[in-house]
Amino acid sequence: MRRLMMFSLAASLAVVGTVACNNFLSSDNVRLDPNNPSQASADQLFIAVQAGQFAQQEGIIALVGCMWLQQCTGTSNFLSTLEKYNIASEDTPSAAFSSIYEGGGLVDVRQVETAVSARGNKQYLGIAQIWEVLDMAVAADIYGDVPYREAVSGATTPRLDPQAQVYGDLQTLLDQAITNLGGTGPGPGVLDLVYQGNTTKWIDAANTIKARLYMHTVETPTGFDNTALNNAITYALKGIKSPANDLTSKHTTNPGEDNLWYQFYARSGFGQYVVAGQNLADLMVARNDTFRLRQYFGPANPGPGYGGQGLPPANTTSPAGVSSLTGLRNKPDFGQPIVTYIENELILAEAYFRLGQTANAQTHFNNARATVPGLGAKTIATVNDIMEEKYIALYQNIEVWNDYKRTCYPAITPYPTTTFGNKVPGRLYYGTTEQNVNSNIPNRNIQNQFGGNVVTPPPANPGFRNPNDPNSC
Amino acid sequence: MIFSVRRVLLAAALMAVVTARGRAQQPATISGNVTSDAGLPLGQVELTIPSLGLGALSKDDGRYVIVVPGARVSGQTVTVAARRLGFKAQSAELVLTPGSLTRDFALAANPLQLGEVVVTGAGTATEVQKLGNVRHAVSADLIERSNEWNAVEALAAKAPNVNVTASSGEPGSGSYIQIRGQRTVGLPNSGSAQPLFVVDGQPIDNTSFSTTDFNPTDGLNAGAIEGTTQTNRAADINPADIESVEILPGAAAAAIYGSRAGQGVVLITTKHGKPGPTHYSIRSSISADDINNAYPLQTMWGQGLGGAPPGNCDRSTGVANFACRTSWGPRVTGATYDHADEAFVTGYTADNNLTVSGGNDRTTFYLSGSYLRDRGIFTGPNNLNERSTVRFNGSHRMTDNLKLGANISYVDVRARYLQRGNNTNGLLLDLLRSPPDWNNLPYLAANGQHQSFRFQHPQIGDDNLSRGWSNPFFTLNVPENTSQVGRVFGNVTAEFLPAAWIKVNYTLGADYSNDERLEGAPQPSTPPTVGGRVTEGKLINYQIDHNLTATLQHSFSPDLGGTLTLGQNLNTRNVRQLANVGRTLIAPLPYKLSNTVTRDVPIDAETVIHDASYFGQATLDIHDQLHLTAALRNDGSSTFDQNHLRSWFPKASVAWEFTKAIGERPMLTFGKLRASYGEAGQEPDPYLTSSVYSGITVIGGYTQGMGANPTQSGFGGLASSIVKGANTLRPERTKELETGFDLGLLRDKADLAFTYYIAKTYDVILLTPLAPSTGYEREARNSATFRNRGFEASLNIRPIQTATYGWDIGLQWASNRSLVEDLGGPKFVYLDPNITSPRAAVIAGQEVGVFYDVGLARCGLSPAGMGAVVAGHDLDINAPKDAAHPCGGAPVGAYYIDSLTGLPVLDNTQRVIGNPNPRWTGSVRTSFRYRKLQVAGLLDIRHGGQMDNGTKAALYAYGTHKDTQVRADCSGATCVGNEHVIGQPGSPLVGPVVGPGAGIPVPIGENWYTDIGGLFGGTPEQFMEDGGFVKLREISVAYTFDEPWVQRMFGFNSIDVRVAGRNLKTWTNYTGYDPETNLGGSVIATRGRDYFNMPQTRSFVLSLTLNH
Repeated sequence: MRRLMMFSLAASLAVVGTVACNNFLSSDNVRLDPNNPSQASADQLFIAVQAGQFAQQEGIIALVGCMWLQQCTGTSNFLSTLEKYNIASEDTPSAAFSSIYEGGGLVDVRQVETAVSARGNKQYLGIAQIWEVLDMAVAADIYGDVPYREAVSGATTPRLDPQAQVYGDLQTLLDQAITNLGGTGPGPGVLDLVYQGNTTKWIDAANTIKARLYMHTVETPTGFDNTALNNAITYALKGIKSPANDLTSKHTTNPGEDNLWYQFYARSGFGQYVVAGQNLADLMVARNDTFRLRQYFGPANPGPGYGGQGLPPANTTSPAGVSSLTGLRNKPDFGQPIVTYIENELILAEAYFRLGQTANAQTHFNNARATVPGLGAKTIATVNDIMEEKYIALYQNIEVWNDYKRTCYPAITPYPTTTFGNKVPGRLYYGTTEQNVNSNIPNRNIQNQFGGNVVTPPPANPGFRNPNDPNSC
Repeated sequence: MIFSVRRVLLAAALMAVVTARGRAQQPATISGNVTSDAGLPLGQVELTIPSLGLGALSKDDGRYVIVVPGARVSGQTVTVAARRLGFKAQSAELVLTPGSLTRDFALAANPLQLGEVVVTGAGTATEVQKLGNVRHAVSADLIERSNEWNAVEALAAKAPNVNVTASSGEPGSGSYIQIRGQRTVGLPNSGSAQPLFVVDGQPIDNTSFSTTDFNPTDGLNAGAIEGTTQTNRAADINPADIESVEILPGAAAAAIYGSRAGQGVVLITTKHGKPGPTHYSIRSSISADDINNAYPLQTMWGQGLGGAPPGNCDRSTGVANFACRTSWGPRVTGATYDHADEAFVTGYTADNNLTVSGGNDRTTFYLSGSYLRDRGIFTGPNNLNERSTVRFNGSHRMTDNLKLGANISYVDVRARYLQRGNNTNGLLLDLLRSPPDWNNLPYLAANGQHQSFRFQHPQIGDDNLSRGWSNPFFTLNVPENTSQVGRVFGNVTAEFLPAAWIKVNYTLGADYSNDERLEGAPQPSTPPTVGGRVTEGKLINYQIDHNLTATLQHSFSPDLGGTLTLGQNLNTRNVRQLANVGRTLIAPLPYKLSNTVTRDVPIDAETVIHDASYFGQATLDIHDQLHLTAALRNDGSSTFDQNHLRSWFPKASVAWEFTKAIGERPMLTFGKLRASYGEAGQEPDPYLTSSVYSGITVIGGYTQGMGANPTQSGFGGLASSIVKGANTLRPERTKELETGFDLGLLRDKADLAFTYYIAKTYDVILLTPLAPSTGYEREARNSATFRNRGFEASLNIRPIQTATYGWDIGLQWASNRSLVEDLGGPKFVYLDPNITSPRAAVIAGQEVGVFYDVGLARCGLSPAGMGAVVAGHDLDINAPKDAAHPCGGAPVGAYYIDSLTGLPVLDNTQRVIGNPNPRWTGSVRTSFRYRKLQVAGLLDIRHGGQMDNGTKAALYAYGTHKDTQVRADCSGATCVGNEHVIGQPGSPLVGPVVGPGAGIPVPIGENWYTDIGGLFGGTPEQFMEDGGFVKLREISVAYTFDEPWVQRMFGFNSIDVRVAGRNLKTWTNYTGYDPETNLGGSVIATRGRDYFNMPQTRSFVLSLTLNH
């Protein structure tokens, strides 16, 4: 008996030992992540890139711009915190910096470019390059000097590239994209959620983006750079030809495929804390811009009509009360305008006007107004007439903030802050994670001056701006 | 287990010798009384005749009877042994003759448990006096006396540096246990930073899971801070089944568990049957529970803004109306409603236990069943926890050297939870923000529609409109949040003694649970659930553990002996999650996925971990006074990277009973010096070395309920995971050195223990932040070094021990200081990457888990430099004071006051603003006995450790907090009245101030509280409060009826009646409900946050135990 037991014991030990040695710790089914794929095709990544870029264009930066430019007003919770330019404590805008580079951003668009260019699919490459430009343009617009040439390259602490250089690189990339779009196909086809692979529409859009980016570099300490204005005109003339060809996001009614503004309003629990901004609502009511009022806003409370909420500390409201952001656009599958015909025409109007070519300016100004039902022709008196048109037309678009930095339109009263010298901030702080790890990121007190481009002597009231914005409003 | 081993050893030896065949046919009946040396009758004493394999258990009156069959009575001399935990064993020889024999025992108390054998993990055991490291024993009595339904909560204040935090007093609420400070950051899947739980030799699951984490779109993985409460799975153990708990606090004690023991190990032994007559026990307790503290709310000012009524708060217009949310309106002239009190009722908990146990010389059994029903303190049907447990422990000695055992427990838990925390559908968020002039009842309008103070006068058809915030009574009654758990855990064991010097133990254990969750949010609610939402999910947790040990024992000489244990362990853990979220209910009910319009991307995830380990332990006893132990474990885990699949964990300890060398004295009856060193670790989460793409991680969302899927418009998409695959990953390794002494004083009337430890955790695995411009947000790395060190002392005094009176006192004190020595690059790492402000972080040079967030601009704390925080000013504390250097010469911490407003301003960078770790913890325990009446009490003390009172910050902003009752009049263009100079006593911030606005009186009202004085304009620094407390955990009065009439009238030998109070009183400076709370519950390692956390409860408990 004892012998038998000893034997069986030894046998069981041996069996167990064998099992233990035999891939128990290292077979693929315990070692590899069973939940997520370790490979992704260019097509799969391309879809995610589009999702990421739609989200970026409709995301927190657009919301911050909407609030700070008083198109809408954050009334409570983290929205009122943001409304008051209190961005130091808030991790929310910080994530926007990360998403420029991470999944759905630069890291994935670069993988798409590499894969499709290996297949010789130039058209696909061109479209991917335009998405890269849209992505990185937001980075340069909002953060000024940003990691680009060393970004997603394996460098652990990518250097900051000067903002002007990034804009230059992006113009070059757009030129390449336009060339590639004229090259071999077949392109992404229906996987291109915006234009279904239509290269003509992409080339037009790329030209409008080129014009937009030239406008971002137009401001000088003493006025405007005529070369940049002329460049903007050159490309805008090749830009988007009609509202039907607008570059808009594509959404469905499925959760996670729906418009982020809609998600924010309907699902976040915080959507109710952003209401119509009094500045925009009153302006539109005064202009009798009813078609777009219905698009943008819900009826005011108590009503009738439309109205908005002013900033604290005054907290004034429009005579009709306050509208929520529940206009006709507030639906899950609304395609958010990203780069549009109306923007293209108004870029032309502004550039011509600044160059003194008022007749051309008037033509394109009227082209823009003609796209809006109920708006007739109007004579441009000052450049603010053009910017007013753009301010209304580009509601919820990040470009409104970029326009303000250049033109100081609209003439809004900022929320009073000591920290930012009673100015509307012209940028955001670099993301806290980037600040934490990347030693190239200047401290926040340095960032307060031109994003770290310290000017000697410091301007009397530097505000919180980027290098392309030498004059504060 | 060792008891039985010794019995068997003796039995085996003696049976060979005793061969005489009995002639007499009459049985021998041995009976007697067992008392303590103080003269008190002792029940539960195990009496055995090892040579015959017979035994019995003494009843509560101390009586015992052993009947020896006549066939085995032959006039031989046998030994009768009596033993019970806490008493010195005794044996007596008697000559076995037919008829009645009497033998009484008086057992001497053995408060130091000397000579008693305790399990030390992984199949090893040793005698208490030989231990070279600290281990804390918690007896069944103490567990029972705590009246806690959760076995983890029952450990609160039972051992030094074993800190237990109940998330709340809700039914089913989890408890978090931390031993000797925080030694790891607790990655999401590793069961956070809590110790390993081992039941009867088998590791079990003690994780917590929030249903909200089945819903990444709405939750952003924030289930720990919103959604419902989460239980911890060790709460599936019926506390009444626990025989004893051994807590192995440090790496030195726990090294035998290797890479799973870095945070310590809790060893639970369940009750077993004992030879002798069958013993029945019925225990029934009922407890009345209520809230232990009312929330301070103002009752003077009504709904509105700027001193004016809100205007129209009807339906959707009310939701959009800014002024409907707050209580900054006019003075209430009509009725006021007490929202602090209205939702609470008295909760009841009924806990019934039945046990049957017994056995004979070969077979023992223990069978128990229990049913717990905890009905919480809120009105409505949805705070309920029901737990049914069945346990069977059986053993059978097949042959003299082979014993087989089985130990199986089945648990059924059905719980109904409430939404809570940082959650717009959460109960207290809705309740405490209600304006005092709004009546929350009825929560349904006459037309049946859900109405709330921001959505008054609802109309038919308003089902799919947001309520702004839900009516708290709607939240209490309508949504359905359930968990239904079926769990089986247990093991089969074999104990084999091939020879007298070798013992082989085999344990094969399994732990399987299936937890079905449902969150059904009704149509008329608050985003993100407007229109209704159904989250259905299933969590399956399956663990198999195989443990084989062989223990060899040898004495080289009377002065030199030892043991050698060799073992092997195989462990697999498999976790499966399957879940779906459906949105927009078609019909109001049922809460079924099939009744929804759209579905999110489903969750379909699993993790598998395989561990294979070998270990050995050798002990050496020299001159019976010097005890050496050395052990070594080699762990292999599939979670390690492929080039480092195995890892070594050594330990060594020495114990010297110096009283054996110098001789016992009346003052010093026992003295032991001990020192030990050990290493233990923590496994990485699985798959951190894989670089993957994700089809489910949402992109670009900036708050709950938002984000884009990688898949769009019917085209499958994949995005790079933001977590980069790690190149190499080793287990974390805690190296701990521990030393101290145990003394028995004053003829064992007192004992004193003291311990110092220093533990360094190397290779702490952090989800280290990467520069996002690299394309990735984080990567798992062995990057940090933490140090924890502290002191532990306990003193037990037994001044009076007589038959009539008994009194004892126990004091415990412990401190722990953690320090982040190195962080491997980043300036800081958040403890949990998904949690919102205030965030806890790991920062070099700081304690682990400090709050790292933005505070107010303060001299010496904020960054200095011209314009660093305030344009045109430099907050340098060392510069000569002038207009541009307001901090010159100011005390550290002075607030900078702005000239614009006379108010402080916000800082522009994060800094350490608070520390949730307590300075020291302690407890005072006493019990007093007069005959059969026993009075006992336990005080739990936590000194220091800050709490973030986020609830207060929010209620300040909404104007419902009591502190806002005295307020400036803000009905005009500017606020007037209630003026204070910031910094002066009576103002919201007290302390030195500097800056151009210093000394300006400012009105404190809506202007202050909705801005920098509240949640939405201020900083968490302002709401850091002292979280220290003294808590009367337990107080009880018990009486035992065991007179003969009890037997005559009820048929039971004894009846215990106990009246007890649980958490009756808390003394604290904390201004919220209770400083013992945590928003992250038992899920995450971040401590010390309160944001609309559910309150704690106090209870009166009546329990009745019938013993037969």
